Amino acid sequence: MEIQSEFLFSGPRDELWVNLMDPAVLAKALPGTKLERVDEDRYVGEMEATVGPVTAARFDVAIELVDKVVPESFTMRVDGKGAAGFTKGTAHVQLAEQGPDETLMKYTADLQVGGRIAGVGQRLLDSVAKSMSHQGLEAINRHLQGEAPPEAAAPVQLLSRPVVLAIGIVVLAVLLVLLL
Amino acid sequence: MSAAFFGAPVPRNEDHRLLTGQALFVDDVQLEGMLHVAFLRSDYAHARITSLDVSAARESDGIVAVYTAADLGEYWQPGPLLVPPQPIERLEFHCATQVPLAKDKVRHVGEPIAAVVARSRYEAEDALPLIQVELDPLPAVADPVGALESDAPRIHEQFESNLAAHAIQEKGDYASIVEQAALVVRRRLLHDRGASAPMENRGVVASWDQKSGELTVWDTTQAPIPIRNGLASMLGLPEHQVRVIAPFIGGGFGPKIMMFYPEEVLLPWITMQLGQPVKWIEDRQESFFATTQERNQVHEAELAVDAEGRILGVRDSFVYDAGAYNPYGLTLPINTQCTLLGPYVVPNYYSEFRAAFTNKPIVSPVRGAGRQPGVFVMERLLDLAARELGIDVTEIRRRNFLPPDAFPHDHGIIYQDSASLVYDSGNYEPALDRATEMIDYARFLSETQPAARAEGRHVGIGIVSYVEGTGIGPYEGARVSVEPSGRVSLATGVGTQGQGHFTSFAQIVADQLGVEVTDVEVVTGDTGKFHWGTGTFASRGAVVAGNACHAAAVALREKILEQAAQELEAELADLELVAGTVRVKEAPGRSIAFGELAVLANPLRGAVRPGTEPGLEATAYFGPEKGSTASGVHAMIVEVDPETAMVDVQRYVVVHDCGRVINPTIVRGQIIGGVAHGIGNCFYEQLVFDENAQLQNASFMDYLIPTATDVPPVDTDHVVTPSPFNPLGIKGAGEAGAIPTNPLFAQAVENALQMPGLEILEMPISPNRLFELLEAARETG
Repeated sequence: MEIQSEFLFSGPRDELWVNLMDPAVLAKALPGTKLERVDEDRYVGEMEATVGPVTAARFDVAIELVDKVVPESFTMRVDGKGAAGFTKGTAHVQLAEQGPDETLMKYTADLQVGGRIAGVGQRLLDSVAKSMSHQGLEAINRHLQGEAPPEAAAPVQLLSRPVVLAIGIVVLAVLLVLLL
Repeated sequence: MSAAFFGAPVPRNEDHRLLTGQALFVDDVQLEGMLHVAFLRSDYAHARITSLDVSAARESDGIVAVYTAADLGEYWQPGPLLVPPQPIERLEFHCATQVPLAKDKVRHVGEPIAAVVARSRYEAEDALPLIQVELDPLPAVADPVGALESDAPRIHEQFESNLAAHAIQEKGDYASIVEQAALVVRRRLLHDRGASAPMENRGVVASWDQKSGELTVWDTTQAPIPIRNGLASMLGLPEHQVRVIAPFIGGGFGPKIMMFYPEEVLLPWITMQLGQPVKWIEDRQESFFATTQERNQVHEAELAVDAEGRILGVRDSFVYDAGAYNPYGLTLPINTQCTLLGPYVVPNYYSEFRAAFTNKPIVSPVRGAGRQPGVFVMERLLDLAARELGIDVTEIRRRNFLPPDAFPHDHGIIYQDSASLVYDSGNYEPALDRATEMIDYARFLSETQPAARAEGRHVGIGIVSYVEGTGIGPYEGARVSVEPSGRVSLATGVGTQGQGHFTSFAQIVADQLGVEVTDVEVVTGDTGKFHWGTGTFASRGAVVAGNACHAAAVALREKILEQAAQELEAELADLELVAGTVRVKEAPGRSIAFGELAVLANPLRGAVRPGTEPGLEATAYFGPEKGSTASGVHAMIVEVDPETAMVDVQRYVVVHDCGRVINPTIVRGQIIGGVAHGIGNCFYEQLVFDENAQLQNASFMDYLIPTATDVPPVDTDHVVTPSPFNPLGIKGAGEAGAIPTNPLFAQAVENALQMPGLEILEMPISPNRLFELLEAARETG
């Protein structure tokens, strides 16, 4: 399943990048995610998600970053497995300047979702998932605009910044996949 | 024979037990020390198992055992091919059957990988995530047409492709007549998958008694005797040491005739390993993956007719989705091939199919069993031809019906029972007349529809015909006995899933023995009570087991009369059976009660006369040489909202020929249930898989089944052409209601909308999909 989406941030790309590197920002956008770095570009951890009747489903997540072009783009491979099913796929993220005070994030993802989370969660919580992904990106955007500074979140402090971004995008992408 | 009960609307014997909660279902079985089983199932449609470690699960709280394929040793065997390939010339057939637990590879979502046995189901399920399984995903095959492309991922490595079968059946010479046709209608028609969605899912309880060496299995199967025989063979036990009980079952609908499901193989083995009873009850979600499904076919079909709409020939080529394994052989596509011919004269027929393995759950019969796609193709093509030629849809059918003197009619192609497709009897035009009369067809078209249209309402009518081969062999048996209490016992091997066997079989016996229907205690589906037979499938229970009950009752009647003649010192011809006694016709005071005769027939001292048997008991078997052909006409009135594409089914009429009717109340119930199933199949029930063969709607939140408000009142009537192939003249009725609903719905919706560009060529059709077709028709129209 392929998805494509974009989000327009109200801030210059450099500033967005710096903000995106801050784990605390993304922790706020992505509650319930813990990750550990196993080497330069590989990370493992767990993520908790509720998709419709599949409540608080835990997924073991493995992520690998490839083709990094700092600070413009990267590709990530994600593999998530849990009792409720699996997600597996690739996401490509790009940040483009749209004038002095706007940055456009474009991302495409090719993801498979399987098992119970696909069979039961498929469309029940469409609207919830939509609003969750929107809220996540909005939270980052608000932070970019200097509003509502996020609280520090312990679970993601071990993370390197690009990985936090990567996780954020994947979680959002997965949620978006579930909408389609 | 006096027929006091045969044909009468006798209330059902079993309803009191069912309605007061006294009926035993598999999940009601509670045994001392019983353990519970949960299965780790694949989340992937196609993957290699690269590692499997159950050690952590074994250590978990409450876990008694965890088994993988490796633990099964020699017991790990692929299941049997249930139906050997039918003798069709040049047939290509590749068989791959399901395994108890996946060993190297999984081929559909839900395929079991490990079994966890625990003190409770909670503990068993909680241990499932502790199993470390590495599945290396492979590209999956969801679409049966794509499955046959040369670059498709291969599902079974031992075969060169995903082709499971290829068969051609022909009569006449279609190619030679197509040139002469006034009209050839060609279309691509689709039929998608549905679930059987029974109220009760599957379940197995198995209990091994070491001391007696007996294995008892309660199973929601439609075929308890073959399950017993198979288990005995697999487990190395004598058949009489295995007892399989199929108690009351909350709906069979076909998938419960499939065997052997992995759970049916594993639970008996597990109880023998552990020496404790074990239970597994399928939950609703498991049912969407672990129970068989049906009906995905893609047809490229054409119908050649002359200028009057008379059929010159049909050519059909279809791809049939067999799912991941094909233990049921070719029953379904052959049923499609044969049933497509319908009640019509089709002089030339070319039918070719390819069965394709896909990474979707296993396919086996679901009520209708391959017949729906065939009927859909034929009826739709007739509708389209009628539209082109400006002939009324009832008229084009009338012109093509086999005449009443055409029977028995041999089509010369092979049917699912491996014999030639022969229609035993039928009379189609009176059924069509009756249905048009009941639904007031002419007045609907001349008055009701125009009046509604004037108000801006879109109402439409549909009317279609079909036949259904029912009551096939090989055989069933029954044992009837009189107890010393005077009550009559009847045991037969077929399982019962709500068909009313406790009543219809009792009616047949009661008529022979001159007792009340309520005096006949019926046992079905318990191999400890009767162990010869095959099962409940193919609308054959009443036909095959019913005639066996009849034969046994006739034999017992003779025994009773002989014993009574001796006791009463009377001639056989002077005796009659009345209200549980035998009496002399001319002197009713000279009588003897059945119970007394039963005691006399089983003496404690003295001698039983040479050449006779003890007891008042008789066993008989019936095996029809050929099945009996039921038929019917269904009619429907719908109202369609062209803005929302919602369809309201307002009226439904069924005129049905199932030969002689044992119990009209039961048959009516069967038909209405079938119609509800059919309405589900055409407008609500669709299993939606993504391109990776992941099911997208595996719950009743998203997989819709019709509710009571979606099923209209159904008016039924009967045309009776008794089957000449069985003594009671019966034909099957269990599947009939569900078979022609799809083309009927399509025809009625098209009739309601009257849009030239609108053709409904796929089933099921959801409101969303209908809306898309309406939009497309508006653009082109």
